[in-house]
Amino acid sequence: MIPRLTSDSIEVSDALEAIETYFENGWSDGLPVVPPTPEAVTAMLEAASLVPDDILGIEPVKGAVITAEKAAINAVMAGCKPEYMPVVIAAIEAITQPEFNLHGITVSTMGAAIMLIVNGPITKDLEINSGVSAFGPGHRANATIGRAIRLVIQNILGTKSNNGLDKATLGHPGKYSWCIAENEEALPNEWSPLHVTHGLTEGESAVTVMSGLSGTQFGEHEVSTPERILDAFAQRLYPMGPGVKQVVLVICPEHASHFSAAGWKKEQVGKYIYENARKPASEWIAMGFPSGAQRDPKSELGDANADQLTSVLDSPESAIPIVVGGDGGAWSAVIPPWSLGSRSKVVTRPIKANR
Amino acid sequence: MVTNIGAKPLRVLDPTATQSIATDGMAVRTESLAGKRIGLLTNDKLNAANLLDAVYDVLAERFEVASAYRVNKGDASRPADPGFLNDLSQEIDVAILANGD
Repeated sequence: MIPRLTSDSIEVSDALEAIETYFENGWSDGLPVVPPTPEAVTAMLEAASLVPDDILGIEPVKGAVITAEKAAINAVMAGCKPEYMPVVIAAIEAITQPEFNLHGITVSTMGAAIMLIVNGPITKDLEINSGVSAFGPGHRANATIGRAIRLVIQNILGTKSNNGLDKATLGHPGKYSWCIAENEEALPNEWSPLHVTHGLTEGESAVTVMSGLSGTQFGEHEVSTPERILDAFAQRLYPMGPGVKQVVLVICPEHASHFSAAGWKKEQVGKYIYENARKPASEWIAMGFPSGAQRDPKSELGDANADQLTSVLDSPESAIPIVVGGDGGAWSAVIPPWSLGSRSKVVTRPIKANR
Repeated sequence: MVTNIGAKPLRVLDPTATQSIATDGMAVRTESLAGKRIGLLTNDKLNAANLLDAVYDVLAERFEVASAYRVNKGDASRPADPGFLNDLSQEIDVAILANGD
């Protein structure tokens, strides 16, 4: 039997009054929430074999504690089904790792959102969309799991944009919700899924979190070799400046098929860009680099010879390729992380169905 | 037409958490800046050092301060390391912080 819930409760006359009450209390993200009744919250906890005071994560800077009960309340509000809870838990574990720098990315003027990338068998079980319009609306699991993480951040950690600690200059639509699955069926031959590249096994499910800034989508319908496709990627990376430490390359299935046909390995992607996407110091400086966000000594160009070539990537491993999207259309994208990966790292955590 | 959507009394739960934030209290205020070593602690933002220097210039005009000690905590997005702050405290009498974004 699950121990008693300890959160304060409110009596309301009906669901609509509950929705309005949560708006008035500043507990919503601006959209209506599902009223979190004790029964619904208990079902969420039971689905993940949690007790209310289990600690799912501690935000390292403020020491703010995320308990299972509060996370479950926010997951219900977001519209999650109980079976989504293990994904929410893994995402909370991931975002509270020190290297993710959750406090920094959620209060910063740079305004990153948190992108969740789910891998493994659970993506099929929960119907997390990885195909047509993977970044778009219309899929409950994608929409509500991502939203649950945002509500956790605003309600439990207190980092909200409406009169709160979130000081983003522009904000980001992904702050409502940003959750996708990798399209593992469209991976080129012998390419490992993202979570396997990050050290887990094929049979496991996992969530990877990234502090994502606005992505840049581009079409490249005319070429069919990996080299020319990656050259097109490089053109979208250059505006980030030299020495980018981490960046997600979203490869659509049509582009992925060309890597498969050419027999390219996944590791070749970062290696090719690192070795070929280079500019002389004079060009980087003319583009305004190093900027304030790149004052890392390794990316300083001040002493560099004007003809010295510097790569857009810090290393071949700086590129994080994932395959996402529908079969039709040759539209891929680059998504840079907050601080271009220098102060927030991509983190992967396994999803445990039974804790 | 449905007219009674969700028309049923409910008990619903507070999603927020009251976090206990540790506070160390304020340091003892110095009575005068005369003869004091002034620490100027920037958070690594581009304009923080400029702001601190401007503040220091004003203070130096008004008080016989001993010296300025300029230091950068190195990462605007994370708290300063406790060891770094402890070392700093050995070098200065007063610290001024700036976030010059």
